[in-house]
Amino acid sequence: MRATRRPGQARERGAHQLAFTVRRTVSRDRLPQLRQLLAEMAAPRGGTAPRIPFDQLTGVHFARLLLLDEVVDREGRTIDASLVYMSEVDAPLERHLAELCTLAAPALDAAFGLCTDYPEAPDAPRRRRFLCDNRVRAQAVYVNALGRTREQILREDRLHRAIEEFLDRERNRLPAEAPRVRAAIQRFVESDAALAWARRRAPAPSLRHRVAEAVHLVSWTVALLLLAPLALALLVPFVLVLRLHERRDEPELLRPDPDHARALGEIEDFGAQNQFSAVGFIKPGPFRRGLIAVVLFLIDFAARHVYVRGSLAGVKTIHFARWVVLDDRRRAIFTSNYDGSLENYMDDFIDKVAFGLNASFSNGVGYPRTRFLFFSGARREDEFKDHLRRRQIPTQVWYSAYQHLTLHNIENNALIRSGLFGTLSEPEVAAWLRRL
Amino acid sequence: MPEALEREDVQGLVVRGYGRLPFARYVVGEIVDGAAARSWLGSLAGEVAHGGEQDADAAVQVAFTAAGLRALGLPAEWLAGFSEQFLEGMLTAHRRRVLGDREDNAPEHWDWGGPQSAPIHVLLLVYAAGETTLAALLRRHEERLRAGGIRLLRAMETAPLDEREHFGFRDGISQPRLAGIGTASAADTVKTGEIVLGYRNAYRRFTPRPRVPATADPSGVLAADVERPDLRDLGRNGTYLVFRQLEQDVEAFWRYSADRARRADGTVDEAARARFEAKVVGRWHSGAPLALAPDADRPELGTANDFGYHHADAHGLRCPLGAHVRRANPRDSLDPAPGTRRSIAVNNRHRLLRRGRKYGPPASRDIDPGTPAAQAWSDESRGLHFICLVANIARQFEFLQHTWISNPHFNGLYDEPDPLLAAGSHPFSIPAEPVRERYAALPQFVSGRGGAYFFLPGIRALRFLATLPR
Repeated sequence: MRATRRPGQARERGAHQLAFTVRRTVSRDRLPQLRQLLAEMAAPRGGTAPRIPFDQLTGVHFARLLLLDEVVDREGRTIDASLVYMSEVDAPLERHLAELCTLAAPALDAAFGLCTDYPEAPDAPRRRRFLCDNRVRAQAVYVNALGRTREQILREDRLHRAIEEFLDRERNRLPAEAPRVRAAIQRFVESDAALAWARRRAPAPSLRHRVAEAVHLVSWTVALLLLAPLALALLVPFVLVLRLHERRDEPELLRPDPDHARALGEIEDFGAQNQFSAVGFIKPGPFRRGLIAVVLFLIDFAARHVYVRGSLAGVKTIHFARWVVLDDRRRAIFTSNYDGSLENYMDDFIDKVAFGLNASFSNGVGYPRTRFLFFSGARREDEFKDHLRRRQIPTQVWYSAYQHLTLHNIENNALIRSGLFGTLSEPEVAAWLRRL
Repeated sequence: MPEALEREDVQGLVVRGYGRLPFARYVVGEIVDGAAARSWLGSLAGEVAHGGEQDADAAVQVAFTAAGLRALGLPAEWLAGFSEQFLEGMLTAHRRRVLGDREDNAPEHWDWGGPQSAPIHVLLLVYAAGETTLAALLRRHEERLRAGGIRLLRAMETAPLDEREHFGFRDGISQPRLAGIGTASAADTVKTGEIVLGYRNAYRRFTPRPRVPATADPSGVLAADVERPDLRDLGRNGTYLVFRQLEQDVEAFWRYSADRARRADGTVDEAARARFEAKVVGRWHSGAPLALAPDADRPELGTANDFGYHHADAHGLRCPLGAHVRRANPRDSLDPAPGTRRSIAVNNRHRLLRRGRKYGPPASRDIDPGTPAAQAWSDESRGLHFICLVANIARQFEFLQHTWISNPHFNGLYDEPDPLLAAGSHPFSIPAEPVRERYAALPQFVSGRGGAYFFLPGIRALRFLATLPR
């Protein structure tokens, strides 16, 4: 039994997480075929369509394939339909690209092969070039716990379950004192070679990455401080122009189309997590386009350096989120992976981070009326929920590496591991045992 | 100053649970003749008890499903003003996931409201002070329903009202109070608009509601809309009524708790058994909350409702995190700031006004399981006709059902849905020192047997519906 377990000795590597995006146009005549293909790829079983073997792609936490329908923008220009691939994956990106181009080649060829300019005779280098050529950078990325790899999450899940099973098994033989219970658990873990890794701390991302992040933090902090007097001088004119826009902008105030809402509901609430994808036009004019760039920079900065572990300004249920500006800053897409239901997610938005949503999403066409950028907006509950649902689009193919775990579970598992060995005071031991 | 509730225009159930009318029956029917049904409703509207009435010895309330309103002749464009959940009903694949209606609880197994049974259109709730009054009233109403083009599908009896539900626990202790009805303590008070349409809700907004053009109401039956005076408010003083028939397998629950408390000689340690049951529910049989009475029942705390979890019991050592009442109303225990008014405020955006009653004969705890007497009572079905009133089905009832009750990950748990209500076999753990007790497989104790989303219109709206053209 033991021998068949995955060996625990394999070195656990630290890594930071990346948000990788690829987008390519789909010609109109191939759209139905692509839609059909994606539906087959998403179906739980059956069908002949090749699938991306996400479990085999190292370090992929979440991934999705999205179809952006053809739309006509406010100036009457057509934006072609496109296919988007997104993954939240452990660094390095090179490895992810290499695995996509080999392990996922059949699915990649089938799906992106229906897009324009996909290589005629695809091989790994040509696929890689295609992916790199069509890569889109995200303006802001949120990672719930920076540096927590998929491998770490899955290992710590196994550790937690092994300890729970041990406690169930030994229920009637456990000692009555907390330190002795912990010692028994320690002995159990030590006796299992497959859990040997649990005696070490979870590794951190590479030193190079950490230094780069520190440099980013310091240099931008200095730059922002230097820019502060200028920003202060511009504050009053900025607020005046902002208020002018806010008064003039028309909120949409429409209920979601019932068929659209039903289609979205059909792919929600299967496991502990859900996906969210929304796309919309950015309000025209240089003011809004400049403002959204600044706001997304600040969100990205805060996500990288402030909200780095467990909580995005009080919301503890978002695994990953990203904002990507598209089509010459005419449109933006927001995607996230979150715990619980959409209703819960939207309520969290309203109750806890309305200010942040208002600052970014209010630059989108049709958003509920805001005041001074941060206020009202999302707090207009009914208008906000309708707006989100109307902007939301179906996520055709979605993958989660740990559908059975919420962030609360993942964080608890990490704390079980970090408190398993080492010296703890008696109250700390009692607190640690309460995690089980 | 809270907006005062227009008591004369809400149906009485919004204001009171009719505790003084202990006998009740719920009748559901299908409208087969819209015109006849409208004239039935026209004559009934004046008799429907409103919230201003007191001391009557009987009361009648009436509610409709979306299909029922359609059958009455409400045009699709006005119907579209109702909420998505109400219009969709409980039966779509997505709603089933949200409500946890799977396995044995799937609507295919329901006695009414499921995909196989006739469409539910009308719900008539009849209350009376005495059994004979009820029987007479019911006969009269059933005749009128038939004459009104309504096919009677089911008359659901309820058990005479008392404080205990079938598992043996005092019930109905924690209820939100409406700000618009005066006296209330702060922690349990919700804005009138949380329950009744046409008033401001917790976000100081008016929950979306059905409205009709003024031209559709030439005689001015409806009130003008609060936000759009050019429209008439069909939703005003109405509320959504969620109905779920929940059958309780009392024998299974009591047998399970007895087995958990069996001594080596086979006898049952009744104190340990009561403790186990209390850990599942979160209150003792008397109603005393574990948060206040952790070690033994204290009947003097039987109606205690002014307490929180975070400060005295953040880890669930008194009341398990997964216990039924801690999930149904987590009070101050969840984010954003456990133990503070902010958490209570967020909690209170998910409250329900419960108005249900139990049905079926009581089970007797004294009867030895396995004997013919036990067989006799276990053959009879009993349970709860769960009814609640909310202004927003998604944010209140469905959120509670999905995010709190049936969520295996509630409050940091891993795989534990509500120990009392969950479908199928499920684990349950009781936090303890030095380490938790864990039960790997509690059986299913409660099964869904029927249900539907109804709308309980205001009195003016009832009159308006009776005058629909066509």
